[in-house]
Amino acid sequence: MSFKLLFKQKWLPIAVAALLMSIFLSFVSPAFLTLTNFESVLVQASVTAIMAVGMTFIIILAGIDISVGAILFFVSSLFAQTLNTTGSVALAFSAAVISGCLLGTVNGLLIVRFKVTPLITTLATYTIYRGMALHLTSAQNIPVPREIGWMGNGSFLSIPVPVWWMLVFTVIGIYLLSQTRFGIYCKAIGCSAQSAKESALPINRVNILAYAIGGLCAAVAALILIARVGGLQSGIGIGLEFTVIAAVILGGTKLSGGSGSVAGSVIGAIFLVLIDNGLNLFNASPYIYDIVRGFVLIVAVLVDRVSVIKNQPNALKFKTSSEGN
Amino acid sequence: MKAFKKLVILALLSASLLGQWVMAKEIRIGLAVDQLFESRVAENNAIKAAAKKRGFQIIEVVADGDAQTQNAQIQSLISQRVDAILVCAVDQNTINGALMRAQRARIPVIAYDRKLPNERVYQAYVGPDSVQDGFLAGQHMVKQLKDHSGEILVLELLGALNDQNGIDRSKGFQQALQALPNAKIISVPTDWDSAKALAATQNAFQANPSIKAVFAATDTQIPSIETVLIGLGKAHPVGHPKHIVVTGVNGSNDGYQATKKGFADGIVVMNLDQIGEKSIALAEKLIKKQKVEKNHVVAGYFYHSGNIVKNKDKIWGAGQ
Repeated sequence: MSFKLLFKQKWLPIAVAALLMSIFLSFVSPAFLTLTNFESVLVQASVTAIMAVGMTFIIILAGIDISVGAILFFVSSLFAQTLNTTGSVALAFSAAVISGCLLGTVNGLLIVRFKVTPLITTLATYTIYRGMALHLTSAQNIPVPREIGWMGNGSFLSIPVPVWWMLVFTVIGIYLLSQTRFGIYCKAIGCSAQSAKESALPINRVNILAYAIGGLCAAVAALILIARVGGLQSGIGIGLEFTVIAAVILGGTKLSGGSGSVAGSVIGAIFLVLIDNGLNLFNASPYIYDIVRGFVLIVAVLVDRVSVIKNQPNALKFKTSSEGN
Repeated sequence: MKAFKKLVILALLSASLLGQWVMAKEIRIGLAVDQLFESRVAENNAIKAAAKKRGFQIIEVVADGDAQTQNAQIQSLISQRVDAILVCAVDQNTINGALMRAQRARIPVIAYDRKLPNERVYQAYVGPDSVQDGFLAGQHMVKQLKDHSGEILVLELLGALNDQNGIDRSKGFQQALQALPNAKIISVPTDWDSAKALAATQNAFQANPSIKAVFAATDTQIPSIETVLIGLGKAHPVGHPKHIVVTGVNGSNDGYQATKKGFADGIVVMNLDQIGEKSIALAEKLIKKQKVEKNHVVAGYFYHSGNIVKNKDKIWGAGQ
């Protein structure tokens, strides 16, 4: 990759921000620059990062899915309940993954068939999916055996399994977005749905597929999380959708759609984990966590805006035509 | 004259029937719940059992963490003319208006589990003695660590910083730890979220590998602590010289299982049955226009790996 091309990458600002923060943390905390801490950061970021991969496609399509946290909760509930009832790990895994895809597909179908805005649709399904999960579990915590925890706690070739999952999803996501027709269609539809319609692009199918991918990512993230936490808890996934959306936006994906980067979303997720990691390593007062999180996010957004202005000097001026990408 | 007699008899009969109807009118209590999770369900079940014992009907509404929804639900309970309202607030300020309306409608309000800042909008409060609960857990930790010399690092996993029960548990725990002058407490917020607790524990052990003890504001986070300590090769059972002391508050199955297998040292169990019983007893008194005291806190009880079997029946989450 040439330098000129590198400077055009959407993930560059967040990568620079993450790098600067890592340098700062390595100076102030000797524990930061260790292999185990690096591993911890990646493992902690894996759940958000995998969900952010799915969310990237949805946001590029100018959509949003605020039900992903509820999908994660439902999938975790179904997994724990199936495992406890049948004792079959294979059945529980299959039920979890299939249900994640199905719930995502339902979101997509509702959006394209009834032409309701994604925000309202997924707000409604958020409530339904959470309600279904609470009904399924009667709001009880369900432990899962430690033996099946390999998905969240195991390692393969000395690399933690959640990091493998994150890598696999990132690579597939990058490939789908940059090398396939689906990725090109996502960008085109997100840029201008009207033009995409006039060009006879399969808008509905692409939308449904993107939401299904979002559901699948939430399902895999759920399996990692439940394995790591050691069981199902009824608060699981609450507010996670906003962390995921923040990671995607920080990673350079435009909330208005049409452009984005899977790698950026993953780095965004890592960046968010770095903030808490740094605060924990400092033994910071618990009362300053929110202030620091907010402050660092503003700095990251400013870094992003500066890079946009540098690349497009007219970016802050009134736009007369929609930006293509 | 005959007609007059008939009229008097009819009037007396009607009055008697009306009296019987009033006497037999079922007492209905509105239960406005913040959201459903394991301990809240157990607490609500205790309230329902106490109400059933007295023949009261419970109308339960759940806000699922949404303060506006809870506000509307309380207004709906007022419209249904319930005899009393038991409320566990999502956000005390948002529901203030609805609770004022309940006062104007002369419907007594009992806050349970979460105290309300505006004392004019409720008649009584019943909830756990969170300061004492935190203190009991801290006291046991002090006992386990008192023979250690040098600085003793203790990790405290806080609940939510805007939740009074979480704040009070921390207050009680820190009061107890004052008995160990060489203890240094590292407090990290978790928002009651086990995933955050897991990350915080992992990070804290990275920065401070010599942590000797962990206090969890809720014992549902103990499996997360276990995940981290297993990963670090530090999950030694109680009695092992390298054992890391783990205590918490709540009384869930997670804490019970962890203590039973010797990973956790002991847990303070909230006395949910008594909270449920007291809530309904207070509601009954208030409906009968009797005077009651404003604040009622119920202390929990501590169990540890040594007396867990004896105390199983008292642990509301055990065996779930």
